[in-house]
Parts: sequence; structure tokens; C-alpha cells
Amino acid sequence: MTTALKQRHDMDKKMDHDLLREAGRMVGRCDRCGTCLPVCPLFGVKGIEATSARGKNAVTRALADGGLEPTREALDIVNFCLLCRACVDTCPAKVPTDEAMVDVRQHLIDLTGGASTKYKLVGGILKRPGVVKAASAALSILRRSGLNGLFPYGMAPEAYTRSHFLTAFAGPAALGQQAPPSTVSVSDRSKVAYFRGCGMEMMFPEAAAQTRAILENTARLREPGNVCCGLPHLAHGLRGDFLDLARRNIRIFEEADVVVSDCASCGATLKHLGSFFADDPAWKDRATAFSAKVMDLTEYLAKVGYTPRQKTAAVFTYHDPCHLVRGQGIAKPPRELLKAAGGFVEMKGSDICCGGAGSFHIDYPDAAAQILDRKRRNIEETGASVVVTGCPGCLIQLAKAAKASGGKFKAMHISQVI
Amino acid sequence: MIDAGIKKKINDVVGRDYVLDSELNRFGYSYDSSFIPLLPENRPDLVVLPRTAEEVSRVMAVACEEEIPVTPRGAASGRTGGSIPLRGGISLCLDRMTKIVELDERNMMVTAEAGVRTIDLYNHCAAKGLFFPPDPASWKFSTIGGNVAENAGGMRAVKYGVTKNYVMGLEVVLADGAILWTGGKAIKNVTGYDLTSLFTGSEGTLGIITRALFRLIPMPKRRGTLQVMFRNLDDGCRTIHTMLLSGIVPAAAEIMDRTCLEVVARHRKTELDPEVGACIIIEIDGDDDTSLEIQAKGIEDVAISCGAVTFRAARSQQEADEIWAVRRGISSAVAALAPHRIGEDISVPRDAFPEVVRRIAEISKKHGFTIAVYGHAGDGNIHPSLLCDLSKPGEEERVHRAVDDIFAAALSVGGTLSGEHGIGITKRPYIRDALGEIGIRTLKAVKAALDPKGLLNPGKIW
Repeated sequence: MTTALKQRHDMDKKMDHDLLREAGRMVGRCDRCGTCLPVCPLFGVKGIEATSARGKNAVTRALADGGLEPTREALDIVNFCLLCRACVDTCPAKVPTDEAMVDVRQHLIDLTGGASTKYKLVGGILKRPGVVKAASAALSILRRSGLNGLFPYGMAPEAYTRSHFLTAFAGPAALGQQAPPSTVSVSDRSKVAYFRGCGMEMMFPEAAAQTRAILENTARLREPGNVCCGLPHLAHGLRGDFLDLARRNIRIFEEADVVVSDCASCGATLKHLGSFFADDPAWKDRATAFSAKVMDLTEYLAKVGYTPRQKTAAVFTYHDPCHLVRGQGIAKPPRELLKAAGGFVEMKGSDICCGGAGSFHIDYPDAAAQILDRKRRNIEETGASVVVTGCPGCLIQLAKAAKASGGKFKAMHISQVI
Repeated sequence: MIDAGIKKKINDVVGRDYVLDSELNRFGYSYDSSFIPLLPENRPDLVVLPRTAEEVSRVMAVACEEEIPVTPRGAASGRTGGSIPLRGGISLCLDRMTKIVELDERNMMVTAEAGVRTIDLYNHCAAKGLFFPPDPASWKFSTIGGNVAENAGGMRAVKYGVTKNYVMGLEVVLADGAILWTGGKAIKNVTGYDLTSLFTGSEGTLGIITRALFRLIPMPKRRGTLQVMFRNLDDGCRTIHTMLLSGIVPAAAEIMDRTCLEVVARHRKTELDPEVGACIIIEIDGDDDTSLEIQAKGIEDVAISCGAVTFRAARSQQEADEIWAVRRGISSAVAALAPHRIGEDISVPRDAFPEVVRRIAEISKKHGFTIAVYGHAGDGNIHPSLLCDLSKPGEEERVHRAVDDIFAAALSVGGTLSGEHGIGITKRPYIRDALGEIGIRTLKAVKAALDPKGLLNPGKIW
């Protein structure tokens, strides 16, 4: 190992050891008032204290203070979190429960001898861009390893494509209303790059293609060929891999002025990279500069004044991905775009997690299904024909909800309808 | 300890899914939102989550027979340790009992199970134009059983009173499992002792409140929110006092000091005017806009004569909601300012409010602690929050002396230890000063009569 590599390795390790203390410090601000109880989707379905944000924070604090042993049960408790940030949003002391959970997971996994084989395998696949790109190859590896449940391939063929959508909604109201070509001109100086998320590539390539088409309308698009954003690794105790991927992405996009993501989770992760390298003098400035360039697709489109390619008779409702509404504070731009592309009805609890949460829906199918069921009822109540979102993880869940609704609505990525 | 045989009996009553005995699940029921530290743990031996009063009754019968301590719990949002199981045993968590049983519009009364969240009860009644006024800051998550057991107050107490002013009757499971009904829908009722009042505010030490009947009042047709900034707390206190004497009774009149305002500004990433040292938030209500305008004008005149820096009336419901959200979150936001926060809940006669606020400022200076001050200025209930770091050597002793001084100040002006949080564990050392020997003896006599084995919420109040 070269000296530089060794130093980096030591730094990543050192950070691991400080993680519990850091998590303890974060949750030390929790005074256990209970404001988070009504908004925590998992407490909503389980009703047991340890499933709530307050409960997990209390466990974290007791672990950090040495009052509780780092057991398997403790790991189960911190794993049972959607990382949806609903608690953080409502907390009077702004306790970052999601960040604390990620840190405690890593700490406990380090103690108990590494991440589970399942996450190592998936993490390994996502680390290899060639494999992700050849989505079918990746999926066949997953299928052979019996892990296809993680990425329900069966979802993709059922996905509703843009051409289906246009056929279905190009009814009388849409006649003669073909939107004029986008009037936006982006100066040659802004180098706009697309960040291809693994979820979009592997499961919703048709939606990813639409994102490219939209972006090409606004700028000469660059695709420097990124690697995974690293969130799946970070969330499941593979912090070293996460940091490694982050460094590679920072390097890959060094030339770009704007990095656009059509996946809420990738976008939120990339926007926060700066904070993960705060203690690393070699990467701190580069990471911060990179994070500042990242934009969600809808955020970028609002900035350049994009007009949807068509206005149809479709009535939309919108599901806020946790990592977009709370992770990035973006709620208005997607709604504005949808209002310009058709009818719009707001659903009840639009910003409540759908239960997808990365691989949460695979690990805890019952809890995820209960959460999704509430989401489905809220969607049905709007009478909308299409529920739109901006995250492949949510889209998997919403496609399941669409199926469960018996065809009352379709689930689509925002790129497919604007 | 609770052996397998007893566990089986309890499983048979509530179902296996609603009995928790793993280490960390029990840990989850070992704390509340008081400043009692998480460690050393006060873990129950078993957590039981019943769904009906009948299940509570059968669990209590087992507990009574086996002499197992039982600590009732709702959302554990209490501030004095009331739901912490000090002696192990069973944590009896009632948050699955969430049924609003009946809204009787003709009699303007509502019956709800103990686990109904306060805000859900409010909204349920409001949908029919009826008003359930008690609104503790925690109303979005606190449960109504806990509100009754602690006789919770809230922002609107200045005009509408506290929880006990609305309780008409209770369903209570007694220590031996018998189910008692007290009170009823008759407005006048002197048939026997007033047991409804006895159980209200009994902090889970006399029986398990499983259901409550509340009276309601018509919903005010219009509401308005005012926010007034002052240079110091004294000007704010004087404004509220003068306003009340002039005959204006707002629905709520809250005060907060500079420390509170700074924490709000930090969370909202805004700059606080350096001139501002205190803020009052007022809710007014009435039948029409004219009535609100008259009240607002009256309050503005008083505030200006008392040296107000700015006066602002919320222009929309959203603006009003934002102002109140800030007030409701103050307690926890202030708590996050230091490693430890000792929050108190003294209550004094209304005219002594400015005096006691001044004395708290002196106590803060004398002992060298920041004491953030906020509270219900309109009804004399104030929450001094002492910010400290108990890991520093000698700090705990100094904190005790400062808290002694705060309580002494409250009692010396004719006030009391707790306005709305109860005594629980945290104020237990001071209760003798407040009630005297005879007072304590009487409480103990009542306790012995209703809970002879001392199983219900042991270790609380005295």
C-alpha cells in the first residue's frame, strides 16, 4: 500500500471508531419530548417505543454512554429506520436521527465483524459501473445469487413508459396543444453533466432516457460515466466503500459546472459529500466544491425556465421523495412542472415516506407494506390518474401501489411526463 | 422479577404481540421527557400494551395477586418522571387505547379512551364546532389519559382553565382490577365524594384512568395571534398585567426571554434585533372581526405604553401557526442548548408574576447559570430552564441550591411547585415545603385507602 493510500485507510478507520461518540453527541440534543412520535412512519405502524426516532436516539445515547451493550438487538433497532428525516424536520432541537443511525450502524457492524454478506455483494455490484450499465448482467448475477428480491426485476417490464403515457393522455384536451420547443438557451460556458444513478439505470432505463432527452434540450449534455453515489454502502456499514466512491465521483465531475441527478437519493447524497470530508484536508475543498454543483433535475429545470414538452389531460399527484423534500428542501419545482404538464391534485401526506427507503422494503416487507398501503389510499383519494415522483426507490414502491390499486392510477418518473 | 407463569397469564390477556420483554424494548419504556437521566436505567420487567379497559382490569388483577408494581404510561411526554417505572414491574402503556367513543353534541360532551392524542380529540370536536380548550405544548403527541392524570394545563389556561375544568367523569381501573365509573353527564352532581376530581391529577398513583368524559364549549368563531417584542422581560410582564387589569382577557398570553428568542433565530437562520430582550405571544378570540380588532387595538395601546419595540398581528392562519409552533417547540429547543437542562414549572398568583421573574434573574446571576425563562404569563405559570453541565465537578450541588432558591421564591409569593407538570420524581424533595406535614399525611391516607399494597406508580409525589 502506498503511503497516501495507507494514510487514507487509517483516516477512514479512525472515523469509524469515532462514529459512536459522534452519534452520541448528535442525539445528546434530544430531550425525549416525543414531537417525533406522530410523524415517524415506523412508530405509526409498530407502536413500539424502540421503533420511534425517540426510542432509537435513546438507545444510541445509552450505547454511547456505556449503559447498553452493543448487541444484535441494538443493530436490529438502528437498522429499522427509513432514514426519511420526518423526525428531523419536526424536531424542535433538530436532532439528526438519520445521520446518527447511519453512524451507529457502521459502528456496530465494525464491532461485529463486517457488513452482512448480502450488502457486501450488492455493494460490490454497485461499485462496478460496467456491471451497472449492463443492467441485465447485474440483474442476472443478483438472480443467480438469490438476491433478485433486492431489485425486483419484475417491476421493469410493468413500468409505464412515456409512449404509453402519451397515447393514453393525448385525448381531445391535448389536441393542438403540443408545447413549443423549449425556449431556454444555456450558455456554452455552463458544462452540464448527467449523474446516472444505479437505480435509474438498472430499473427505469426508459425514464433515464427521458431525463437525457430533456437535458439535451437545455444544454450540450456530458456523461463522464460516474460510479454509484455510495448511499447503499453508507447506509449499511460499508463506509470505506462509500468514501472511495465519493472520491471517484468528485474526480470524474471535476470539469463540470452543473451535475444533474434524476434520483432524489443520489442527489441528496452527493449534495452532502462536503460534510463527510470535513476532517480530510486533502479532499475537503474538492468535496465541498463538488456538492455545490449538484442539482436535482427539477431544481435545474426551474433554474433554466424549462417548459414541459406537452400539456395533456392527465391529472397528476405527486409523492415527495424523502431525500428530495427533506434531503434537499425541494417541493415546489416538481409541482410547478406538473401543473404546466397537466392537471394537478395534492395528496394527503404527500411528504410521508412510501416505505421503500433503499432496501428497507426488502428487509422489512411487512412494515413497508403497511406504510405503502396508507400511501396508496392517499393517492386513490385524489382521483389522479398518475402518481409522479423523482426517485427510483419510491417508484418501485409506487408501482407496487399502482398494481394493488387495480389500475386506478399509474406510477411514473417525472422525466416521463414533462 | 416476573416469572414465565405470570408472563403467560398476561400474554393470555392482551396477546403475545403486546407484551414486550426483550432488553431494548424494555429500555424504551424506562424514560420520559423529564431531565431524569437515561442511565442508570429504570427498566420495567415487562411492557404491557392493553387495548381495552377490560384487559387493563385483568392485568391489574394479576399484578395485584402477584404484588407486581404497575406504572401507567401514555406517550411518556411528561416532564417530571411520572411514567418512569422506578421499581421495575410492569410498564402499562395505554397508547393503543385510541378510540373516541362518543361525541354527544346535544350535551356538548365527548368520551375518549386514555390513549387518544390531545390534538386528535381537539380536531374531532372542532369538526362539529365544539371546543376542547386544554392545550399543553405537547398536544400533538401527548395522550389524554396522561393529561387527566397530570391535570395538564396549556397556553389557553388564562381564559379557559386547565384539564380538570373539563373532566366530567372517568373510568378508572382500581389497584385490584375493579372498574370504577365516576361522575357523569349531569352538570350538577354532588352524589358522594367528588372522585372525578380526586383521580384527576393523581399521577397514576391511585388508579389507571382508561376513559374520560369531557365537557366542551362552543368554538370561538374568530381567532387572532399577536406578537410583541420588548427590550426586557419586565416590560413584557407589565404589558400582560396591565392588559388583564384593563379587562382584556386573551385566550393565551405567553412570554419568552432573549435566550429563547436566540435559539429560535438560530433554527430559522435569522438575525435577532439586538435591542429585543423579550417577546410575548397573544391569542385573542371572539365572535367577529370587530371584536378581535377592538382587543388587538387595546393590547397594542397597552404594549406601546409599556415600551413595546414592535407589534405584529399575524395576517394569515399560516403565520399564526408558525408563531405558535415556535412557542410549542421552545422547551425542547432550549434543552438542546446545554448538556443538561433542569426545567421547572412554578406557578404563582398572577400579580406576583413580574416579581418572580425578577427574582429568577437574580438567582441566575447569583449562581452563575443561564436560566432561560418562558411560560404562561397570563396565568402566572412559568418554566425557568436552568442550563448546566452535570458532568462538571460540584455542578450538581450548585444546581440544587439554585433550584432551592427558585422554589423558595415561588412559595414566598404564595405560589406552588408545579403548575401543570405534576410532582412525579423531580419535585418530590420539595413537596413537604409546599404542603406541610398534615398535607402529606392526608395524601398518604388517600393512597393507603385506594392502593393498600402500594403497587400503583410507586415512588412518586412524596
